[in-house]
Amino acid sequence: MESKVSPPANAGAAAELPAVSLAGIDITFHLQGGQRYQAVKKIDLAVAPGEFVSVVGPTGCGKSTLLNAAAGLLTPSAGKVTIFGQPLSGLNRRAGYLFQQDALMPWKTALANVKVALEPMGVSDAQADRQARDWLARVGLRAFVERYPHMLSGGQRKRVALAQMLIRDPEILLMDEPFGPLDAQTRQIMGNLLLDLWSKDRKALIFVTHDLEEAIALSDRVVVMSAGPAAGIVADYKVPLPRPRDIAEIRLEKAFHEIHRDIWTSLRVEVQKAYAMGEGKELVEGAAS
Amino acid sequence: MNRVKLIALQILVMVVFLGIWHLVTTTSLFGDVKTTQFFFSTPGEVLARTWKQLTGADIYYHLGITLTETVLAFVIGSAAGVFFGFAFARNALLAAVFDPYIKAANALPRVVLAPIFALWFGLGIWSKVALGFTLVFFIVFFNVYQGVKEVSPTVLANARMLGMNERQLFRHVYWPSALTWMFSSLHTSVGFALVGAVVGEYLGSSAGLGYKIHEAESVFDVTGVFSGMLILAIFVIVIDSIVTLVENRLLVWRPGQSSTTTT
Ligand SMILES: Nc1ncnc2c1ncn2[C@@H]1O[C@H](COP(=O)(O)OP(=O)(O)O)[C@@H](O)[C@H]1O
Ligand SMILES: [Mg+2]
Repeated sequence: MESKVSPPANAGAAAELPAVSLAGIDITFHLQGGQRYQAVKKIDLAVAPGEFVSVVGPTGCGKSTLLNAAAGLLTPSAGKVTIFGQPLSGLNRRAGYLFQQDALMPWKTALANVKVALEPMGVSDAQADRQARDWLARVGLRAFVERYPHMLSGGQRKRVALAQMLIRDPEILLMDEPFGPLDAQTRQIMGNLLLDLWSKDRKALIFVTHDLEEAIALSDRVVVMSAGPAAGIVADYKVPLPRPRDIAEIRLEKAFHEIHRDIWTSLRVEVQKAYAMGEGKELVEGAAS
Repeated sequence: MNRVKLIALQILVMVVFLGIWHLVTTTSLFGDVKTTQFFFSTPGEVLARTWKQLTGADIYYHLGITLTETVLAFVIGSAAGVFFGFAFARNALLAAVFDPYIKAANALPRVVLAPIFALWFGLGIWSKVALGFTLVFFIVFFNVYQGVKEVSPTVLANARMLGMNERQLFRHVYWPSALTWMFSSLHTSVGFALVGAVVGEYLGSSAGLGYKIHEAESVFDVTGVFSGMLILAIFVIVIDSIVTLVENRLLVWRPGQSSTTTT
């Protein structure tokens, strides 16, 4: 298992502490009836400030679990989570989290959902209103500020969630398959929007996805996780493609295909393993939910 | 089926019903007219009496009493239901300790309490409010409890990641979620507040719609009973439409509430 910590994309920050460092992380779930399920085992992962890291792996391998540990929503059974050199206890106050499922408050309009993110920071109402409108415009939803979540498309809801996360200007961004349920075109548009917003003030970003092409097109580094149980990191690749990128066009480049082939070699084994375990694993997952 | 046709059919049902009623009570096909009229009155008389009552002043005094009791029972019952629903949902020990008692109290047929309430609170409006309260409270209590318990874990986790403290979580997450559940049972709880009021009046009072019906019954004035029931039905429909209006305003954010003709 190789898990080299690569230097960040912007070389100037090389000497800085990692924004997120996971060291020797084990996570075991206790199921009903005294059963245990070890989701991940001995995970080491460091993400430098300004680095865009994608995590890929078969469904159910523990990607969300790992992200939850980095967010402080879940305390690992063993190992250390360090945020800019400081051990994490409780919620990770320096991180923003974009959830896989719908996480907007359904009883609030798009505007109110984004605005409310500033309330814990003590921003005045008038200013919060102005900033929220500004952010909604930046994600292309100027005309939709008064809509409730159910009146928005899946892609639009993700845009609101993106604005809600980014308006607080967190130093670390955690994203869990944010574009998972969207159709192919919308994914591309959202991918470019994300790159556009991210490149303005590069934050450390952990991006979980099951789509390898998306991972390569977006990130500086792609980390491959093995199939669970006791999933670990099996490979760690740098993506030396130049920025700025257009994620539709970059897929046509030769370098892209080479990286894709390399990573897919590692990933395919894990996907097949997960698939082969299919039936038995389903039972464990069923018990978990 | 289009609207016109539906309404036509609905009217048809009423016409057939009134027709049969009329036939039974004004022709000698089914026995002595005097006897059938004593038991069933006639649709014409009931409508005439209802009209007379609705154009007079007296009935509005009684409706006012019933309305006051209904509103008080609803407001006080809801406030207590919301308060205890929250307290129990946020405090597992409290919920666990009181669980059997709450279930037992809720299983009790509330009508048996009416005489006791009359004893405690007198024959005025408060014994009726108390009866309505015991009905409304449990509906609101269970719904609010459920609403707080069933907050989406993702919405909650997201709100916490946005840095919200307990107070802010309450305001932006738990409270709206609980209210949604409460509103979804608005028709039921308002309906029960009214049931409490009318049943209470029926069992002992000197004013209100339940009293009017009881009064007519005690002198075998079947026309009076039926017209009282008709007025009660109209009253219920009016209140229910008001609740629907309120509901549509409060729950605009819910799927299916918005008009599909918007662009
Ligand atoms: N709260 C939980 N309790 C028990 N098992 C869980 C829990 N959350 C996740 N798991 C299990 O841990 C494994 C990893 O889950 P997850 O991190 O959601 O996978 P994914 O890589 O698809 O995001 C799965 O097998 C899942 O069933
Ligand atoms: Mg997941």
